[in-house]
Formats: sequence, structure tokens, C-alpha cells
Amino acid sequence: MRDRILKALEQSGADYAEIRVEREWRTKVAYQGRDLENLEASSELGGIVRCLVGGGWGISVFNTLDEMEERVEDAQRIAKLVSGRVSEKVELAPVDPVQDEVRVALEKDPRTVSLQEKQALLQAYNELVLGHSDKIVSTRCRYTDSFKEVTIASSQGTYIVEERPDVTLMLGAMAREGDGNVQLAAESDGWALGFEAVEGKEERARTAAQRALDLLKAKPVTGGVYTAVLDQRLAGVFIHEAFGHLCEADFISKNPTLQQVLSPGRRFGMDELNVVEEGYLPGQRGNFKYDDEGTPRTKTYLIRDGILEGFLHSRETAARMGAEPKGNARAVSYRYEPIVRMRNTYIDQGTVPLDEMIKDVKHGIYAGYAFGGQTELEQFTFSAGYAREIVDGKLGEMLRDVVLTGNIFETLKNIDRIGDDLEILGSSGGCGKGGQYPLGVTVGSPHIRIQNLTIGGRAA
Amino acid sequence: MTSQIRAGHLMEELSGKVGGAELYELRSLETPVSFRAGALESVKTVETTGRALRVIHEGRMGFSTTTDLADGKTLVQNALQSAQFGGPAPFEFPERQAAQSVACYDPEVEGMDAAALIALGEEVVDRLKAHDPGLQIDLSASSDVEQITLLNTSGLEIEDRRTYLNLGIELVRTRGDDILVLWDSASSHAASEIDAMAMVDRLIERLRWAETTAKVESKAMPIVFSSLATMCLLLPLSEGLDGRNVYEGASPLGEKLGQQVLDRRFTLVDDGRLDYASLSAPYDDEGTPTAKKTLVEEGIVRQFLYDLKTAAKAGARPTGNGFKAGGFADRSFRLPPIIKPATQVVLPGDKKLDDMLQELGETILVESVIGLGQGNTLSGEFSNNVSTGFLVRNGEVVGRVKNTMIAGNVYELLKHQLIGLSDRAEWVFGLLHTPAIAVDGVGVTSQG
Repeated sequence: MRDRILKALEQSGADYAEIRVEREWRTKVAYQGRDLENLEASSELGGIVRCLVGGGWGISVFNTLDEMEERVEDAQRIAKLVSGRVSEKVELAPVDPVQDEVRVALEKDPRTVSLQEKQALLQAYNELVLGHSDKIVSTRCRYTDSFKEVTIASSQGTYIVEERPDVTLMLGAMAREGDGNVQLAAESDGWALGFEAVEGKEERARTAAQRALDLLKAKPVTGGVYTAVLDQRLAGVFIHEAFGHLCEADFISKNPTLQQVLSPGRRFGMDELNVVEEGYLPGQRGNFKYDDEGTPRTKTYLIRDGILEGFLHSRETAARMGAEPKGNARAVSYRYEPIVRMRNTYIDQGTVPLDEMIKDVKHGIYAGYAFGGQTELEQFTFSAGYAREIVDGKLGEMLRDVVLTGNIFETLKNIDRIGDDLEILGSSGGCGKGGQYPLGVTVGSPHIRIQNLTIGGRAA
Repeated sequence: MTSQIRAGHLMEELSGKVGGAELYELRSLETPVSFRAGALESVKTVETTGRALRVIHEGRMGFSTTTDLADGKTLVQNALQSAQFGGPAPFEFPERQAAQSVACYDPEVEGMDAAALIALGEEVVDRLKAHDPGLQIDLSASSDVEQITLLNTSGLEIEDRRTYLNLGIELVRTRGDDILVLWDSASSHAASEIDAMAMVDRLIERLRWAETTAKVESKAMPIVFSSLATMCLLLPLSEGLDGRNVYEGASPLGEKLGQQVLDRRFTLVDDGRLDYASLSAPYDDEGTPTAKKTLVEEGIVRQFLYDLKTAAKAGARPTGNGFKAGGFADRSFRLPPIIKPATQVVLPGDKKLDDMLQELGETILVESVIGLGQGNTLSGEFSNNVSTGFLVRNGEVVGRVKNTMIAGNVYELLKHQLIGLSDRAEWVFGLLHTPAIAVDGVGVTSQG
């Protein structure tokens, strides 16, 4: 394989050529209610060639690796179509060529754990969820693992082989009472580790089941503007949606008006607010040494002391904006070119204990867990798995259907307390952008408090 | 060139050794071109070869996929191994049933190379730039050709060639701290079904309406969901009509077959046989002929959707809705078939949209929302930020509404609060064909 790749790169007349090949082994176990819905063992092999000719990209994706040289020629040919029409020629910020081989040592390599063992573990969790109460009518439990060997090679001399493990667990409970009261709750996690990471999660199964039961009794939230305290996971999803996506330079680098609005030095929050984009946290979901352009992944600050500091870059956006690429060019698989993505985005540790944060809230909401979130640059939403009222500084009744919304220019400024209990969390889902889903990322934060946050709901 | 193992050969090999087997093979060529900030950015060709094998062995289901058509052995081994511990499969793979043809192939789409797609993209971009040179215009256009082979040990043999033309447009208008994002997309088996210029005109109309912003009060009020925004209402409903949710007692509609659950004026059809609709095909991905089914007839629940497995469990008939993907998901060989809607068609009402808006006094015309499907959709709840919406007073657009949430329960709104449906159904992303729907009593929370 190495020879074939190197030869194809050597023969290419493109200004820049890059080949990425992925071999993947994956298994899946899924339960829905009492039934095992899917048990699967699959394999995949594919590659992508990217060629830059005269400042335009040509890309070719394929499953048959025999004709590597022809694929490079194809990509080069279509790049020429583009080169004559680009408004601004693409250039790539310099990155030192890397030659490396990254092998992982997993405690329990999923490729050597039998399908039966995986199925038995998930079945046991599934039964814990189902057996928690007779009001639990169904489940959504899923285990997945994937082991990829990724080769990244470029005409600039990079040749990297990296092993990338991924394992996820989702334990979901569906509770029902009466005619139409159906409530869902889930616990989910993901790691760049082996099978050992999903063992011993019985407590998470009970937590999901109990939360679904509690939600049956919860009141739907009344729409309004609240003081909200967010738990670590929800605050993490909040910062990912509210700010992380906006800092992805592919949105900004070709939009001069947006660059004015988002100029480094602009204040976005109080002095205590620091938003970090960590490059490489071994073992955490989606964490590998290199990005998909072969750039080493390193740490960067989005917000330091409340002030916008920098953006996330691919080599292309870094060149356009005069920045240094730090390994944010990622692709969800060989079927896609790398685009600017997050890795581990979190609000850094503050100093305020949770009870102090809640103590002086007269009427507010404590919201936890995250169903998900979505952003459209200025406005964004994120939805909580559950919430509780805060009345006179104390946690009160459980609330459901809590979807929070914010505006990038207002909401970060309204963060007035940052907790002392930072957590970095993976999940079984992932981030979606430009059709590329699910990309393994982590989110993180301590508990935070936000003033004047809009929560949708029925009228009071 | 490594020699490929014929799909039929794999079937012969498995026949007699297992209770049943089914092979789905996909060969496709996609040509996406993408424009960013109003200029061509990249051209791509995506060639896919893949196989999915399902086997039923001693009543248990095994599943495996591969991209390596030369290696039949690993695929069979993986599928057999997963069948040893797999879930129950209380059905047999079907024999071939006759199905009338549905138009899914257009030579014009197959003939569209990168240059033709670039020309299409440039036409759209030029027209939008002429309206406002400051717009950030992103666009993707692709022509796809798929060759699908479906074989099983009951003798089923289906070969189908399909084309897809897809067009997606996204606009960003930035004015100081005010950022407007508008988008639309279309997908069809045929080129003639995609009217790019009509999409552009619609987007320009929205840009004009959004020239000013309008403040809205937090209260319960009537909302008009434009065709584009009806997804907000139809998504929870389609989960309720999913036979799998019904079977496991999770659907609020489960025990309501034959009952009046929604307003008399509401009729919803799932149609897998509309010529050139992107979700149309003569057979679903398990070999069941697709069909046109009325799911809700004048507010009465008539039918749920089923694939082979759930139909067998529930004692129902498969409805031709066993798809490997659907909706926004990638078409792919990688997933086992599950229940997915085909084109969802809502029958129009009798009022012009303009008249409807005029009669409502004050309303918000919602065009798109953020956070679709994130929440307890199964119980019919929705709570979304109005990404694009306009305050309309006595039929006149006052301006764009921002920082505003709408929330409600679809089952309650479509039963007790339906104001009406407009007289014209429109295509939405090539997935839905629906009129605008007006409902009262939606919870609006705004910091406008």
C-alpha cells in the first residue's frame, strides 16, 4: 500500500496532492425494548484523493484501491475545471511534514472481544432499564465500536499511519403513563478506548430509567425568560453550539462583514470566561494525535479573559487569515474532505461552588443533560434532558420540554457565574456539519449560571 | 483489478445453508460541486461500491456490510456470526411480487457532468448576486446515479437504476450584529422537476421581507407554518405513525386506529409511487412493492407504516416502507432496513395563503426553525427557535422576528386549534408535498 500511495503522489503534477485511506472494522449492538434490533459486524475500506491545481480543489472518493494513480489523475483533472473559476486561489498554510506511525494499546481491543460478549453486556444493561419499573415500556440501548487505521500522505512529504479507536454506549429509557404521556431519558458516553470503557455502567442504566420515570410526573415548562443554571454537559453543549461553531474559520474567512463583527479583541463575556479548544486528550472521544490533513492537534484559546482571541483553522483558512493551523481540519470518514471542526471545546474552570450559584436565585431553572443543540450563526438552541425549578435558592419541582435559546452577542455576556467543577464529556452521538455526521467530539464546562435566558414553552 | 464475486454467486452459496439470506448491492457515482462565498470551491466524484448481507439462521437475524466486493468470505462469516446471537427474525424474505413501474431514472441527470452542474450553480449565484452583491452565497449541486441489486434466497431479483439531482442553497446576510441565514434545497430523480429559479425567487422574497425586524410579544397566538416549516408539525406525527413505535406502545396514536384524532380537514398520505419524487422507488429496500397509503383520512387514523420485521411482529402487512435510509440521511448500503416514510403528502385546503394571513389579524409566518426534532417529539411536543419567521399584520409583512421560540403539542394543535390549510401544496426539500398550515394557541416566547 505504502508504495502504491507514494508512487501515485510522486507522479501527480498537482500543486498539492493528498491521499487518505481508511480501513475500518466496526460492530454494533442495538436493543429496542425486549428485542435485539441489530447485531452487526462490518468492515470498510476506502480512500479519498484531494488535488489542488491553480488554487482549485478536485476530489475523488473510491472503494477500489487498485487504481490509485488513476484516482489522482481524476482529482487533478477536475481540479483544473475549478482552477479557472475560483475567485480567490486556495493556498495552504505551511505545516512541517510528519512521518509517524501511531499504534494504540487498548486494554480490551474491540476486534478481539467476541460479538457474544458485546451482545451480553448490552442485554444486561437493557434488562436493567426495562426492569426498573413496569412503566418503562421500551428502551433505546446501543453499543458501537469502530477501529480505524487511517493513512494520510501528501505530496509535501507527510506520511502518517494512525490507529483510531472509538467506542460508544447509549442507554435510553422510554416511560409511559396514561394515554399520551411518553417520556424519554438517556445516558450516553463515548471514548477513544477499548471495550473496557463501557463495562460497569449499571448505574447509568438505572439513572436513565429513573429519569424517564421522574419525567412522567414533571410539569411542562412555561415559556419565559429565566435565570438558568446549567450542568456540565448542558453548559458544554451550550458553548459548543453558541460559540464553537461561530469560531470555525470556514464561515468567517470568506465573509469580510462577519470578520468585522467577529474581530479578535472584541469582548464576549466577563473576565472569568475562558473558552478553550483542546487538541489532544488521549482516551477522550474523537481524540487522535493528528487531524485529517496531518497537522498535529494542539490547544487553542477561543476566548481568554472574556475577550475573543482566535479561530479554528484548516490549512486553507489559516493561510487566508494569516493564522497557524492547530489541527482542526477533520473528516468524518474517507468519504469526505477535511473541513474545520471542533475537538474538545470547553469553558475553563471557575471558582463558584454550585450551591452558591443557586442560593441567590429567586425564581429560575436548573437544567441538565442534553438532547442536542443546533446553531445558525447568530441564534442557537440547545435542549435539556430534564430540569428543575429553582425557588428562593432551592431546587424544586421537575420540569420537562426545556429548550433554551440564545443569541451569540447577548447570551455569553449574560453568564454571571462559572463553577469550580469542570468536566469533559464524550457522548454516543457526535457533531454534524456540512453533511458530515457524527464526528466524535467532547464538550465540557463547570456548572454555569446565565441571566435572561429564553426558554420556549406554552404561554403562562 | 481484483476480481469481484458475483452477488448471485453468494446467494447460491448461502441457499440451503441458512433459513434465508438477502443481499443488497449498491454501485453509485455522485458528482457534487460546491460553491462557497459565491465562487466555485471544489468538484468531487464519489464512487461507491458496497454490499449488505442479512441472513436468517434458526430464526435469528445476522447483518454485515462491506465495501470489498472481492471478499465474499468475510461478509458471509460476519453475517453468520452475528446471526448466532442475533435478534429474532419472525419473517421470511419475500418472493418477487409484481409492481407497476415508477419513474426513478432520468437520462438527463445521468448526462449532467461537473461542467453542467457548475453552469447550474453559476446561474443561481449570478441571479442572487444581482439582487444583493453583499450576500454570502453557498451552494451545492450534485447528480447521482445508483445501480441497486437486491437478491434473496426466496428467488427475488431486483435490478434498479436511479438518478438524483440535488440542489442546496444557503444565504447569509450580515449587517452589523444582525445575521440572517436562509436556505432551501430540492431533490428529485428528474432534472425537470427542479426549478432552481423558482427557489431563487422565493429566497429573494424572504430577503426583502427581512429588511426590517419586528418585535413580537410573548403570548399564545396564531402561527402560520409555511410549507417549508410544516416539518415542525409533520416530524412528530410521522413518529406517531411509525409501526415500530405503535408496536411497542410508545405512540400516542397506537390504540387510535379508526378514531378521529385530528381535525376533519387534515389528510396525510404516504406515497412511495410518485413519479420522480426522490423517495419514490418501485420496491422498498427489502423487496416489498411500495404503495400509496392514506395514513390520516379527514382526521381519522387509517394506517401505520411497516417494514417486514415489525409487520410480522405486529401481525400487520408490510407497507413497502422498509428503507435503509430516508429523509435527510445519506442513501447508503450500510444500515439495515428500518421503517421510514416515503413522500409525505398533506392534502391542501381551500384558502389562498394571502387571504389566510389577512384574516388572521396578527400572526407569525414561520419559514424555518432551529432545533428540529430535538426534544420529546414522540409525545408530539415541539419547542423551536424561529430561525426565519415574519410578523404579519392584516396580511402585510411587518418584518423579521428574532430571538423567538414557538412551542406546542402537535396532536393538540392539529385537533383543536387548526385554523386552516392553504390551497396550494408545495415541495419541501423533495421530501414533503404540503400546503401551509395555520394553527392557533401556539406558545410564543420572545426577547425580540
